[in-house]
Amino acid sequence: MNLYLFQALNGIGLGMIYFLISVGLTIIFGLLNFVNFAHGAFYLLGAYLSFSVVSITGNYWLALILAPIFIAFIALLCEKTLIKRVYHLPHTYQILVTLGVALIIQELCISIWGPIGKNISPPDSLKGVVQLGEFFYPQYRLFVIVFAAIVAFGVWILLDKTKFGALVRAGSEDAETLSLLGTHTHRLFSITFALGVGLAGLAGVLAAPIKGIHPFIGPEILGLAFFVVVIGGMGSFTGALVGGLLVGLVQSLMTTFWPQGASLMIYGAMAFVILLRPYGLFGRA
Amino acid sequence: MKFKNSIIGGVTLLAIAMMILMPILLPSITLATEILIFALAALACNLLLGYTGLLSFGQGIFFGGGAYTASLVMIHLDFGLLGALFAATVIGSLLAFFVGALAIRRTGIYFVMLTLAFSQMAYFLAYTFSDWTGGDNGLLDVPRPPLSLFGFVISDLDSVESFYLFVALIFALVFILARRIIQSPFGTTLVAIRENEGRASAVGFSTNYFKLVAFVISGAITGMAGALYAMLLNFAPLSNIELLMSENILIMTIIGGTSSLLGSLLGAGAIVLIGDLLSSIWPRWMMILGAALIAVVLFMPGGLWGGLEALYLKLTGKNKSTQSSSSEDKK
Repeated sequence: MNLYLFQALNGIGLGMIYFLISVGLTIIFGLLNFVNFAHGAFYLLGAYLSFSVVSITGNYWLALILAPIFIAFIALLCEKTLIKRVYHLPHTYQILVTLGVALIIQELCISIWGPIGKNISPPDSLKGVVQLGEFFYPQYRLFVIVFAAIVAFGVWILLDKTKFGALVRAGSEDAETLSLLGTHTHRLFSITFALGVGLAGLAGVLAAPIKGIHPFIGPEILGLAFFVVVIGGMGSFTGALVGGLLVGLVQSLMTTFWPQGASLMIYGAMAFVILLRPYGLFGRA
Repeated sequence: MKFKNSIIGGVTLLAIAMMILMPILLPSITLATEILIFALAALACNLLLGYTGLLSFGQGIFFGGGAYTASLVMIHLDFGLLGALFAATVIGSLLAFFVGALAIRRTGIYFVMLTLAFSQMAYFLAYTFSDWTGGDNGLLDVPRPPLSLFGFVISDLDSVESFYLFVALIFALVFILARRIIQSPFGTTLVAIRENEGRASAVGFSTNYFKLVAFVISGAITGMAGALYAMLLNFAPLSNIELLMSENILIMTIIGGTSSLLGSLLGAGAIVLIGDLLSSIWPRWMMILGAALIAVVLFMPGGLWGGLEALYLKLTGKNKSTQSSSSEDKK
């Protein structure tokens, strides 16, 4: 029983990380109607940047702040120079262009940090374990759950309670009308893209001490993020949260007895959901 | 009409000329063989992307499936060369039928994601059933049986030259067949679906049926390419069925250009060649592919073939009317 509880907690932690990746993807899709195949690559870059910051300064907290900001900045540059040219093109073109971006980022990461994976250890203050009833649980993993929950709450406040959030939601409905009503939609798009990609970078930083950093993880993360978005419904915040937790829990519980089966099942379920409920469990038809 | 026919003949002749020149100009004949094999896969991808407008991330399923099928029937069932190729083609088309029948129920981004999901499933299946596929190590010691017909041995295919000839023959046959298909009413219907699916459907075409048949044809050719690749390497690696293989085939197709089947040969040639030249001195050459992909999509939608065509028209100074009629021919 303890083992299941342990795996369930692991699953929630993993699920929160998946949520952070997917919520960016889903906001970008919802507002910009843009399919970002480079999302997994930005996650990878976030993880590697945190590795560098930690190995230079020895301070994980600095990495947790700096890496996502830097990723968001790179995303902003990318959006200003390249991505904005593709908004009006069909999804096929968006997929191909961002696939190219993903390849460049991945190869860049390998040429900077080498083809062999890296590990970073959690900050010293979180290296211990916490006693939860009868068993011990790593402090860092608990921290990830709490921290990601706080970020999730922040994103929810931002999207649901602020003027910025109202504009994003209005833009998701009808960007053209929003623009006619006097909103600078280009700036809104840039900020949203940077925010979404920055969240993926943050997820990379948070996941690095748990999962390690592997240069070819990008496509796998992208696949998982798409799965979460598909389950939750494109553009849905709640969907991304529930979908992320669901995937995290299933993956974590399955790994105890059949690890490859977990991936098989997840992609099988993805196909199933697209075929039966194409707008996801929480999406709008 | 006569002009059109000369264009068809011209393109086929160009393809054959390239096949004759490649082994002479390239550093090795094995490289030329590899180019032709990937050109087959890219051509199959082009039928879907260029002519039907379907962006499939599932081509690796058929490529890897073909490679595994051919290898397994040759190792365990003592199939001959043509038998193994045939088996791979059949399995490739069956896999494509399965993937296609489900994927074409959705359009746009959902279609793309379905092919992506199936691609990942195929990879994890191959990884899980490592008793059959060799898992991470790949399937070793794949034989290359002699080419024989009705018990009569035509060639043992032991030399690189004879295997190149064999692959070139298959490529030429598939190329001509594919050109026949896209020039046929069936092919023009595919283009109609690409241009406007709603209208094609309104005119009375059962668009899903056409898309499915295109998928099956594409899967059959890709499966055959996978089988040839396993015979070339004497080895069927797991990477054949990875998502990266699907992406590579897609990139070859797009960089070559999707407006003509010859583009696929150009794309496969360019990328296999760049990979071969650069991979030893700069292992991260894939970065160039990423940049090239972006550049082609944004600035040169016709790909290499489109670029060459424009250059040719400029150099020969042909007037606007021939240019428009040749672009009509493509569509």
